[in-house]
Amino acid sequence: MSTQTPGSRAAYRAPAPLGGRSSGRPPGRSLLRGEARRGTTALAFLLPALVVLAAFVLWPMISALRLSFTDAAGFGTENWVGLENYSAVFTDAGVRDAVVNTVLYAAIFTPTAVVAALVLALVVNNPRLPWRGFFRTSLFLPFVVSLAVAAFAWSYLIDPQVGLVTYWLSGVGIQLGDVLEDPTLAMPAVALVAVWKSFGFYFVIFLAGLQDIPASLYEAARVDGAGALGRFRHVTLPLLSNTFAFVGVFAMIAALQAFDQIYVMTGGGPYGHTQTIVMEIYESGFRKLELGFASALSYVLLVATLLLSILQFVFFGRREEDLS
Amino acid sequence: MTRSSLATGALLAIAALTLAGCSGDDSPETPDDTTAPDTSGDTVELTFWHGYTEADGDVLEQIVADFNESQEAVHIVTEINPWAVIDDTLLPSLSAGDGPDIVAMPAERLPVYAARGAFVALDDFYADAANNAADLNPGAVDMVTVDGAVYGVPAGFVPLALYYNKALFDAAGVTEAPATWDDWVDTATALTVDENGDGTPEQYGVVLPDHATVANGLWPSLFYGNGGDIVADGEAVVDSPENAETLAFWQDAIAGAAISPTGVDGIGADELFSGGKAAMTVGGPWMTFIAADNGIDLGIAAIPAGPEAQAASAIGISMAITAQDDPEVQAAAEQFFAYFFNDENSVAWSLGSGWPPLRTDIPADAIAENATVAALTPMAEFGRPLLPGVVNTTDVLTAVDELTQRAMAGEGIAMLLAEAQDKVEAALADQ
Repeated sequence: MSTQTPGSRAAYRAPAPLGGRSSGRPPGRSLLRGEARRGTTALAFLLPALVVLAAFVLWPMISALRLSFTDAAGFGTENWVGLENYSAVFTDAGVRDAVVNTVLYAAIFTPTAVVAALVLALVVNNPRLPWRGFFRTSLFLPFVVSLAVAAFAWSYLIDPQVGLVTYWLSGVGIQLGDVLEDPTLAMPAVALVAVWKSFGFYFVIFLAGLQDIPASLYEAARVDGAGALGRFRHVTLPLLSNTFAFVGVFAMIAALQAFDQIYVMTGGGPYGHTQTIVMEIYESGFRKLELGFASALSYVLLVATLLLSILQFVFFGRREEDLS
Repeated sequence: MTRSSLATGALLAIAALTLAGCSGDDSPETPDDTTAPDTSGDTVELTFWHGYTEADGDVLEQIVADFNESQEAVHIVTEINPWAVIDDTLLPSLSAGDGPDIVAMPAERLPVYAARGAFVALDDFYADAANNAADLNPGAVDMVTVDGAVYGVPAGFVPLALYYNKALFDAAGVTEAPATWDDWVDTATALTVDENGDGTPEQYGVVLPDHATVANGLWPSLFYGNGGDIVADGEAVVDSPENAETLAFWQDAIAGAAISPTGVDGIGADELFSGGKAAMTVGGPWMTFIAADNGIDLGIAAIPAGPEAQAASAIGISMAITAQDDPEVQAAAEQFFAYFFNDENSVAWSLGSGWPPLRTDIPADAIAENATVAALTPMAEFGRPLLPGVVNTTDVLTAVDELTQRAMAGEGIAMLLAEAQDKVEAALADQ
C-alpha cells in the first residue's frame, strides 16, 4: 500500500548535486540538455532494432497494404482494383472454409494449451515437489524446438506404418490409423502438436504469475478455512487474471496464425480439412500468384486478430475490476 | 570514451552496416563460378534453374556444358534445386528482379506463371523449322500453351504407366500384366494376400493412391479410360455419367474388395511398392531407380485400357524463358533450346533421363539400348496432357483430390461429383 499523499509529489525536490554546490547555470536548461543526450543515446541503442523492424516488419506491412488494392502477381504489371480483393475475401468459399477450420483449430488449441500450462505450473509451483528445476526445464524444452522440426518428428511418430506412438498404442489395443489422412482426426492432431510445442512458454508465464502471489494471502485464506480448491478459486485465479489475459491473447493470436505444422504435416488436407486462414493466404499468394488477394486476406486477419485481442483485454480488465 | 562519442560511433557503425547490407552482391552463387568466362565481351550469361538431381541431372549438366563449349556467344550457369524449392523461390526471385533466365518446372505449374506474364511467348521459336520444334510431341506442346500462345518448351513428357513386381507376379502364378480394367482387378485380387484374415491385407495387389497422386495423373487417366474428363474446351465436365461409372467401378474394387489401400498419396504408394507391400503401382520412369535400389525385378506395361479408351495422363516438365524485356537474353535462351532439341541431344537426353524422346521423329532403334525408354516410348501415343491451358490448376486438382479421396472412402458419388463440378467451375471462373 502506498503512503504517498496527493500533495507529496509536488513537495518532492530533486536532491542537490554531490558536493552541495549549484553549477551556476539555470537548472532547467541543463536538465533539458541531459534529457536530449539521454534521448540520443537511447536512440543509438534502439536504432539497430528499429532498422530491423522498419525493414522487415513496417515496410512489408506498408507494401502489403498497397498490394491489397491491386491485382499484383509479384512481378510484371500491377493494376489498381480498389476494394475488389477485400470484397472477394468476404465472398470466397475457400476463405469461408478456412475461417471455419481456423475457429475449430483455435477452439482446440487455445483452451488446451492454456489449461495444460496452468495445471503444470500449479504442480511445478509446489515447493514440496522434488526435482522442480528439472521439470521446469523439461516442460519448457519443446518451446525451444522449431515448430516445423517438431511437426516432422510428430509426423513420423504417428505414421501408420513406422510410427512409434502408433506402435505403442497398438500394443494396448488402440488402433490409431492414419491420423493425418483422417478428416476428423487431422485437425486435432495438428492442433495438439502446436500445444506440445508452445505450452512451455505459457507455463513459464503462469509460473511467474504464481510466484508473484504473496504467500500471506494463502495463509490468510487457510486461516479463514479455505481448502485447496477454495484457495485456488479465491486467491490464485483472481490474482492470475492479468496473466490469463496475456496468455489467452497470445494463445489466440498463435491459433489464428497456425501454419508451420499444418504445412509440414497435412498441407491443408485431407481435402481441405486443415486449411487454415494463413494456409489460404500462402496458397493464394505463392501457389496461385494472387498477391493482391493474399494481402487483403492478411489485412482482414490482422484486423480480426486486433479486435479479438481488444475484446479479450476488455473482458479480463472488467473481470479484474469486479474481483477487486 | 564519453557517452555522446559512444552514441555517435554506434550511429556510424549502424549506417555503415546498413549501407553494406544494401549493397548488391552480383557474383554468381553456383559451383560453376570458377568456369564462368569473362563476360566483359559479347557473351550473354544466362542462369538456368532446374530440378533434375539424379542421373538425369548429370546428363542435363553435360548438355549445358557442351553447349557452353560449342560457342562463345552464350554461357549458361545452372542452379539445381528440388522442384518444390524452385516453385517456392521463383516468385520472390522474380519479384526482386533477380530471377533465372531459363527455368524448368512441372508442366502443370507453367500456365499459372505464364498467365501472369512471367514468361515470354515462343511462337517465333516454334515457327523456325531449324529448331526442330515442329517435331515435338503435340501433347507436350499443349502443356506449355496458354490462351493459344506457346510459353515454353517441353523438357519431359511421359504417360503414366503400370509398374509391377515380377517376383510377386511369379509367386501368385500371374504370367502377364493386365490389359483391361477387368483384368486389372482380377490380377490385383489374385495378388492380394490377407494371411490372418483381419481384412487388412499384408500385401496389396495394387496401390492406387486416392489423392496427391503422381503428377496428379492417376484419376484423370482412369476418367479418360471410360470416356470422361475433368475440363474440356475450357468447361468443367467432371460431373458426368462416365466419371460416375469410373468412380463406382473403383470404389467397389478398392473400398469393397480391398485390392488397394485407401487414404494413400503418391509418395505413400511409392513406399508401399518399394517395400514389396504392393505388387503393382502407377508411376513414372523414376520407378526404375526405386526398383533397382530395393532389389525389385520390375515390369513395365501401359495403364490397362478402360471400357472406352486406352489413355494415360502424362507427366510433363517444361522450360520457359522469364520475361525481362531483353531480346538478347531471349535469343540466347532460344539458341540453347535449339541445341537441346538437335538430333544428338534429343537422343542423349532421352537415354540419360529414362524418358521417351520429346521429338516424335527420333527412330526407335536410337533409344533401344535403354529398356525403360524402349518400353515407355510406344506408350507416348496414349499420353494426354493434364488440364492443358487451365491456369488455376491448383484449385481444380484440389477439387479432384477431394472427390477421389472421399469417393474411395465410401461416400456418395453423385453428391461428390456435383460438389466437384461446382468447385472446378468456380476455379475456371477465377483465372
